[in-house]
Amino acid sequence: MRQTPIGNPIRRVDAVAKAAGTLKYVADYHFDDMLYAKMVRSAVPRGKILSIDLPDLPTGYYFISHKDIPEGGKNQLQMIKSDYKCFAENEVRFIGETIGLLVGPDRGELEELLSKVDISYETQPYSVTIEEGLECKGGPFVGDDNLFCDFTIDKGDVDKVFKNADRIFEDEIRTGWQEHVHLETNGAVALCEGDKFVIYVSAQCPFYVRKSIAGLINRPYEDVIVRQTATGGAFGGKEHFPDVLAGPLLVATYTIGKPVQLIFDRFEDSAYSVKRHPSRTRFKTAVDDKGNIIAMDIDVVYNAGGYESCSYVVLQRGVFHATGVYNIPNSRVRGRAVATNTFPSDAFRGFGAPQTLFAVETHLNHIADSLHIDPLELKRRHFLKKGDVTVTNGHINENVVLPEMLQQVLDQSGYPEKVRTYEKGSYKGIGISFYNHGGAFTGNGEQMIIKAKVRLKKNRNGTVDLLIGSTEMGQGLQTALIKIVADALQIDPKYVRYPNPDTSKVADSGPTVASRSTMIVGKIAERAALSLKERWNESDELTVEEEYEHPEGFPWDQATFQGDAYIGYGWGACVVEVEVDPLTFEVNTTGIWSSHDVGVAIDELVVHGQVNGGIIQSLGYAAMEKLDFSQKTGFKQVGLSDYIIPTSMDFPSQRCTLVENPYEYGPSGAKGMGELVFNGASAAYVDAVSRAVNRPIYSIPIPPETITELIS
Amino acid sequence: MVESCYIPKDLKEALRIRKETQARPLAGGTDLMVVHRRGTGVVPSFPWPVMIVSRLPQLQGIFTDGNEIVIRSLVTCSEIEKNDDVPYQVRKAASLLGAHSLRNLATIGGNICNASPKGDLPVPLIMMDAKVVLLSATGKRILPLDEFITGPKKTALHSDEILTEIRIPVPTVPYSHIWYRKIGTRKANAISKLSMSAAITFSQERIVTDFRSANGASGPKVARSREVEQILIGTHAREIANKIPEILSAYDAILSPHAMPEYRRSSTRRMLHYFLTKAASEDCERIII
Ligand SMILES: Cc1cc2nc3c(=O)[nH]c(=O)nc-3n(C[C@H](O)[C@H](O)[C@H](O)COP(=O)(O)OP(=O)(O)OC[C@H]3O[C@@H](n4cnc5c(N)ncnc54)[C@H](O)[C@@H]3O)c2cc1C
Repeated sequence: MRQTPIGNPIRRVDAVAKAAGTLKYVADYHFDDMLYAKMVRSAVPRGKILSIDLPDLPTGYYFISHKDIPEGGKNQLQMIKSDYKCFAENEVRFIGETIGLLVGPDRGELEELLSKVDISYETQPYSVTIEEGLECKGGPFVGDDNLFCDFTIDKGDVDKVFKNADRIFEDEIRTGWQEHVHLETNGAVALCEGDKFVIYVSAQCPFYVRKSIAGLINRPYEDVIVRQTATGGAFGGKEHFPDVLAGPLLVATYTIGKPVQLIFDRFEDSAYSVKRHPSRTRFKTAVDDKGNIIAMDIDVVYNAGGYESCSYVVLQRGVFHATGVYNIPNSRVRGRAVATNTFPSDAFRGFGAPQTLFAVETHLNHIADSLHIDPLELKRRHFLKKGDVTVTNGHINENVVLPEMLQQVLDQSGYPEKVRTYEKGSYKGIGISFYNHGGAFTGNGEQMIIKAKVRLKKNRNGTVDLLIGSTEMGQGLQTALIKIVADALQIDPKYVRYPNPDTSKVADSGPTVASRSTMIVGKIAERAALSLKERWNESDELTVEEEYEHPEGFPWDQATFQGDAYIGYGWGACVVEVEVDPLTFEVNTTGIWSSHDVGVAIDELVVHGQVNGGIIQSLGYAAMEKLDFSQKTGFKQVGLSDYIIPTSMDFPSQRCTLVENPYEYGPSGAKGMGELVFNGASAAYVDAVSRAVNRPIYSIPIPPETITELIS
Repeated sequence: MVESCYIPKDLKEALRIRKETQARPLAGGTDLMVVHRRGTGVVPSFPWPVMIVSRLPQLQGIFTDGNEIVIRSLVTCSEIEKNDDVPYQVRKAASLLGAHSLRNLATIGGNICNASPKGDLPVPLIMMDAKVVLLSATGKRILPLDEFITGPKKTALHSDEILTEIRIPVPTVPYSHIWYRKIGTRKANAISKLSMSAAITFSQERIVTDFRSANGASGPKVARSREVEQILIGTHAREIANKIPEILSAYDAILSPHAMPEYRRSSTRRMLHYFLTKAASEDCERIII
């Protein structure tokens, strides 16, 4: 049996190579005869391409566009939806849309040539904001209403309850764009290997890339081999977006026959990449005479940008999390994803949940204010418990340990005492938030769509290879999964190897997204390891493969969105304390306390790393990460000196604790947690600032300029 | 595109190259290399010849000369930050510039010659009436820093000159109270949204004998007005409160309307109000924060 609890930290398997700088990232790959590519992009938010004037291309230089897609190939990237074009043809929908690639041996020369490409457009009026998208400014460009999707879920009888409500509160909460700022920018190399094509790429989901681009050259998936290179951060920004690089590169290498590399510089990666969906959430909330919430009518709109990609799924998660961690007896949530002429919004840690969770937390704070009670009083009264009915009329199937988590953050932060002593408007404030995150794919997606597989191979020398498509991107997955496998096999983790995936060699364990990898893939890996252990002496070399098994008794109807949207949730509570400078309205965060239920931590240090990073990222989202549209570069705050993310100086060190709550269907009781930790700190921060300056806050981010406006 | 790059071995050679080729000095390179960068994997390219002066021994060092503190042009921000002889506000400004790695490279000469309206060091320097020494193969000029910087990214540097020294006069009577504040976009590695440096001197009778204040990131160049400062000279400490409204609106008028969204304007007012009110009160620290 296991000697020490699995949660005890070990040195991360990727630590030494990363610290020593010996790890090879995609920009470090060089192949004989390799050419470089530069993207030719749309310079206008909406218009028709009238002409493309190229400078004279020296020999060995190429311009690759939709015209190079071979017969039978389709000019589309197959993401969740297939509307994203590999190359714009006649129309462009946003600034930065790919029109072509300039390819050649010298990157300096390519820069020169790029500056001489002259594209003329017939421009059209365009939409940027949610309102402009909904109004179809300049005429709709998606269907007749600019909506990629529009659906509503109902629980109980909202209309009836509203008629009898004591008080009704209306509110509108907004969140902005957010850029991923993964340390390593996007990059890929494409080349031919025999009669196959190979893509080296910094990506979360190698199998997604393969599926997305093989159709461009009309080949079966297997003819495109994707090899994930060491990935220096992703946060969702490398879920579908690598397809936007890999697709054109595949067409280029198909046409030219040589390896081609495309690496974005920081400016490109920041201006011309997908972002978190901006949101507008409207609430109408009915409260009875005892101050209990009896119904909520919620209208959620996400700005999806120029193409749908995965927005429908992002929106679903947003809608399913719209009432937060609260049991609201009657609710109606409508969700819409609207098309605008901005760079497509896409996956970003939290995948739609952070926007509505921020909204509902902030809305409840506003209600508590009107009721003259502390937000905590209002919130804890409505905490979800095991057996409660969810917004999709499913159930909470697990023990909810929010009360224990709350106790931890209260004890550590001194919240009750501080609420009493910090007067509103005293420039000191403390705030609190609660949040959850449904683990893995929504509903029965794991069973119906993903069907994950895990392969383990025992080698002659007794080592074991974990052969799966799941990826390490800095989050610690290699360490976690190696520990799970080693633990089940009862061998030292150093005998388990987990190479970066190559789609021709590993089992498709599904995308590395949705906080599913430890919880779902880890569980399958655990089963595979147990079965390998049983068969260990059968032969010197042995391969076992296991598939996902869906637990019984969790009904879900994907057509009506009814039933158990998620089988297990991670839960969180966060307290943030601030001091606002009365001269400059700069905010100094003086304390951060959090407690999370992640089931059981597979490695406490990895979990703490995720908590620390997730919370800082969430605070950056609320405090400083301002991103506006620009007619020139698509986004105004581009690059690291203008797009402001927190440094290690900006927030104090955190106190984070866990409440252990083993999850029946996870490996060693683990649940998903990578996104959970992003979902809530922003609301606690805004609560704290709002109390410190005694003003309600309706949108994020809130840099000092915004706080000044609130006060004056 | 010009491909020539020189590495002079001493100041004399540097001045000769400067005269003959107009090569631009590259000191820390933290502005030049960033502005002229090209994409991934391509070295920066400059539209004029460049000479790397970073190592010239004659342009290093901080020393006192009579009643002036002299900082040579290649002194880095981290050297300034650590040097006790340098006036507080200049040290403070240097210590808040960028982050560690940047401060180890970024020079005072580069910060001045770059003449960014958001540059941090010129603000306290201009407040203290610092002068710059400009050397060429044929002569030497000394200019007030406030005149040397003529506008955004513009200086009075001649094409054969190199900035060699920054000379900061030390007031005969030390300032009674001083103030420096940088509002960056975040706590480190942040460009200034606003910075302000101010000082006030009282006589024994608590009469204001000197008052000065300069604003950075508030217009095309550092904003300072001696006329506005005059309003306070000769005022008794207890009268300061009465004069604050006049000072604030006069000060407001010297700030550029274009570069000054409301936030910067109102923060300036609050900071100045705070500084003067604090300074006027009897018992308060020399450095007001
Ligand atoms: C990440 C980052 C953060 C930054 N943060 C700040 C900040 O917080 N505050 C701030 O003010 N600036 C900041 N900067 C800008 C820059 O670092 C400073 O302006 C720095 O002081 C420039 O010095 P340098 O020696 O690197 O200049 P260089 O890049 O070498 O030169 C800048 C200009 O000055 C000229 N020059 C340099 N030395 C001389 C000389 N002796 N005689 C004549 N001309 C000369 C050069 O020809 C060039 O035109 C930042 C830059 C970066 C990259």
